[in-house]
Amino acid sequence: MNRVLLARLVDLVVVLFGVSVIVFLMIRLIPGDAVAIMLGANTEITPERMAELNRRVGLDRPIIEQYLLWAGSGLRGDFGTSLWTGRPVATEILIHLWPTLELTFLALVIGAVLAVPVGCLMAQTRGGAADVAMRIGAIAGLTIPSFWLGIVMILLLSSWAPSFASLGYVPFSDDPIGNLQRMLLPSIALALPILANLSRLVRSAMLDALGQDYVRTARAKGLPERSVVYKHALRNALIPFLTSVGIMTGYLLGGAIVVEQVFAIPGLGRLILGAIAERNYPLIQATILVVTAGFVIVNFLVDFLYMLVDPRVRA
Amino acid sequence: MKSLAKNKLLTFAVLLVAIQLILAFGAPLLAPYDPMAQSVARRLRGPTELNWLGTDQLGRDVLTRILYGYRTSLIACVLAVGIALFAGGTLGLMAAYYRGWLDRIVMRIMDVLFAFPVMLLAIGIIAVLGPHTFSAATAIAVVYTPIFARLLRGPALVLCESEFVAGAKAIGASDARIIFLHILPNLASVILVQTSLLLSAAILVEASLSFLGLGTQPPTPSLGLMLSEGRNFLMLSPWSAIFAGFAILFLSFGFNLLGDALRDTLDPRLRGQS
Amino acid sequence: MFRSALRGTLSAGFMVAAMAAASAQVLEIGADLSPTGLDPHLITAFPSFMVVNGNIYEGLTAIDKDLKTVPSLAESWTVSEDGKSYTFKLRSGVKFHDGSPMEAADVVASVKRLLSKDIASPLASRLSAVESANAVDAQTVELKLKEPSAALLSSLSTIAIVPRSMETNKDALQKTPVGTGPFKFQEWQPNGYILLSKNDAYWEKGLPKLSGLKFNIVPESATRQVGLTNGQYALLPNIDAATALQLKGKPNVKLAETMDLAYTLIGLNVSKPPFDNPKVREAVNYAINRQEIVDAALFGAGVPGGPLSPALKSWALDVKEFSCYAHDPAKAQALLKEAGITTPVAVSMKVLPRQDIKDVAQVVQEQMNKAGFKVELINQEQGQFIQDWRNSNFDMFASINAGQPDPDEYFYRTFRTGGSTNVFKYSDAEIDSLLDKARTLTDQAERKKAYDQVQKKLACSGPVAHLAYGTLFSAMSDKLKGYDVMPNRSLMMLRGASY
Repeated sequence: MNRVLLARLVDLVVVLFGVSVIVFLMIRLIPGDAVAIMLGANTEITPERMAELNRRVGLDRPIIEQYLLWAGSGLRGDFGTSLWTGRPVATEILIHLWPTLELTFLALVIGAVLAVPVGCLMAQTRGGAADVAMRIGAIAGLTIPSFWLGIVMILLLSSWAPSFASLGYVPFSDDPIGNLQRMLLPSIALALPILANLSRLVRSAMLDALGQDYVRTARAKGLPERSVVYKHALRNALIPFLTSVGIMTGYLLGGAIVVEQVFAIPGLGRLILGAIAERNYPLIQATILVVTAGFVIVNFLVDFLYMLVDPRVRA
Repeated sequence: MKSLAKNKLLTFAVLLVAIQLILAFGAPLLAPYDPMAQSVARRLRGPTELNWLGTDQLGRDVLTRILYGYRTSLIACVLAVGIALFAGGTLGLMAAYYRGWLDRIVMRIMDVLFAFPVMLLAIGIIAVLGPHTFSAATAIAVVYTPIFARLLRGPALVLCESEFVAGAKAIGASDARIIFLHILPNLASVILVQTSLLLSAAILVEASLSFLGLGTQPPTPSLGLMLSEGRNFLMLSPWSAIFAGFAILFLSFGFNLLGDALRDTLDPRLRGQS
Repeated sequence: MFRSALRGTLSAGFMVAAMAAASAQVLEIGADLSPTGLDPHLITAFPSFMVVNGNIYEGLTAIDKDLKTVPSLAESWTVSEDGKSYTFKLRSGVKFHDGSPMEAADVVASVKRLLSKDIASPLASRLSAVESANAVDAQTVELKLKEPSAALLSSLSTIAIVPRSMETNKDALQKTPVGTGPFKFQEWQPNGYILLSKNDAYWEKGLPKLSGLKFNIVPESATRQVGLTNGQYALLPNIDAATALQLKGKPNVKLAETMDLAYTLIGLNVSKPPFDNPKVREAVNYAINRQEIVDAALFGAGVPGGPLSPALKSWALDVKEFSCYAHDPAKAQALLKEAGITTPVAVSMKVLPRQDIKDVAQVVQEQMNKAGFKVELINQEQGQFIQDWRNSNFDMFASINAGQPDPDEYFYRTFRTGGSTNVFKYSDAEIDSLLDKARTLTDQAERKKAYDQVQKKLACSGPVAHLAYGTLFSAMSDKLKGYDVMPNRSLMMLRGASY
């Protein structure tokens, strides 16, 4: 157990190192003079300002030293200050992180909570026209563009319930009801593919479990069908369900970037898109690094929990 | 009975994809108008006899632009997934065949690439390359490479241990011959299923990137771009945005259904169950 | 029927409640883009100007709704005989938001800050004529000029007066502005909103009437529109015709409109073929159908435009005076042939990333392709576009520029040889001498005569094909009173608005 954990930890560190190298190299791969391009968003520059920015970004040092400096301060949570607003990059990321986390969390909860009954239903009605219809529905849910769904929902809502405040963002701590009201539509738009994906997973895991000996035994013992399905099969179905939730988080982040744009939510997506328009490379770098690292660590923790839960993996 | 239903589903999926492929690559022959031809007097109309799906903000025919948009999306995504398949597949097979340090290094690099959330890495790549269809395709290719490498390495490892590979080695077949003639054909079903599913996902990623202004640029017809342009005129005429949205949905849906039905038909493990 | 009656009763009830709270409201504004910074001497884009100018900061002068220069922080001024010395009498009792009094030393520090190499203000060229600024006494400032500058008073309206302590501070004002305006900075949630609150110590008694302004950053046009119709936002300032058209006739929404000072343009690089040849530039003008651009990209809400906006009634020439404004693709082809160019001639056009400009560019591309050109569009993100623009790295570009109330402010830096924004590398001895002369003239009629000549020459063979001036709209709740849209896009009138 400990040895496996240690090996995983080593993997984690290697991956994090690799991620940081790729993100670090990104800015160096930009064709042309990165500093000049960054300053392009400002209309008047002097050689002094160029040199200052060069120093600030650290492009005037040997590349290994640049990396060590950058990664070193990054480890201490210091990503420098944003080029134009002068705010610390870490603060910028933190401010924009919460709305995205909340959106991701709500979408995951909505998707996961609904996926269990929908998946069970799909497994029970397997075969026949209903099954096919449900599968097609699930695939449609998976492939519907969430940004499009968002726009359509805003338009429909504006004609059905014109006074429902659905746009923008207020922090939960300021106004819990207003916060949830505004988060409702974007989380649904984002949750639909999750629901489709997870319910399919529940369905196939349930079918899998229903074929297992112990369910057959239970059924043979005369236990009622419903209790068989829920008690035995569902418990087994939940393990792959949990692992795929980890993978879903990555999808959700991507979806959130686009959905935030539609619903005017000041999250990471808006931060990084704004940074691209301004060519604020240090901010883009730091955001990608922080989010990816967070993502890797979450997946590691999910793996770790999984190991605790399911002893078979330990071997 | 059940397998018949499954085959029906597969047939339906194949038909759906085939129709869309014909529409896309036959666009120059099938489209009623020139995709660039503007007609301000007829702009932002709903469906009419002249323009079956209406017109966009510059009076261009929505149906024509959707057909050409299919082509743009498909070319970008097929190219991207194809490159990912080639690169990831080659790396995954080599890692499985040669094992040792090559395996370790290649798979660690793949782990690193796999760690990035797809859209985030794509946005990072576009930040470097600039907004363009080509950049979006490159981003998709890079992001999907580790998926193929990881997918193929596992089953390839099992195959490498098998007797027929040992036999081939014994009669002195070259490494390349073994990899491409003995191992690869056995992975065809896995590849087919995954390629189809990833194409479906790639279409959504390309549309999202174009929607954000980071992918295909005007005046090139693109589904994500049409949606993005149309959303500025939703209250005047929602048609181009609505139809572009459906087009994205159908295209992505077709490939996903195809992958799903193929998996059911080809995957022996699932076949045994039904 | 019944439902709408019910809704009417309900909203009447709400109105009673709203009226009780009238004027004590924070005005919810739906803005499209996030400002990148708030330092009034460093900002370059509309989203920042809109928040900062006239609301948080004021200049010595101001521009009113009719584009006339009126007193602001300077109560009055006198100009010396030779036009090279301006003496401003400052308004008394003006305080900065931090409580310190606004005096001559602050004005001098602001001018110095703007002109300092270290701050590197993009607005510095507006004060390029200024040689020195001195405080005569606490309430009097004297500006000495190197040469007479007819546009100085108008330019000063955009030069914010900041506290003297900020003279060498590069960072502080980007995040927390300190001005003298009717609203003071309260909170900035990046990509969320910027909140300004009422300045209780504002020098003009009784103003502002609103208790604050909240600029909500809402990137999606459809989202902003829904936000206005469902009452979440009370004002969508400076919107384009397409958005206005969609909001027209919606319940509880009213529109205000004016002629925009900003203009859409095609810039031509005259330092390399093919646009180094004046005949080719003329051909571009003949190739373009300006009325079609107005109809297509501006939804008919606008007019074909020459070098100056028709909003500048005392300056602009009628476009009928420009012969090359007649749409004539055959003539364009003929001019290209005369220039010895084999058609179609391939050129690229860089496009500013805004929906209206992308549409304009696509229309122009089609028009030029029918007249002997082969135009390739290159779409770029903002930063890259501006950089290529500044480095003259383009054949053509399509963009929109903010216009200025005085012709000199636009013409001199754009078309004078070596002008600070003459990215076209345009150099013409006749234009140079006219521009040099016109900025020193004080007689309006004589100045107009010079600028008439400049307009005529620039319209057809200049480095810019001016396309159109749009109608600028603002959409607002019908409860918002006392606000009107201004041609220069300033939101200065919000100080007198009530809701």
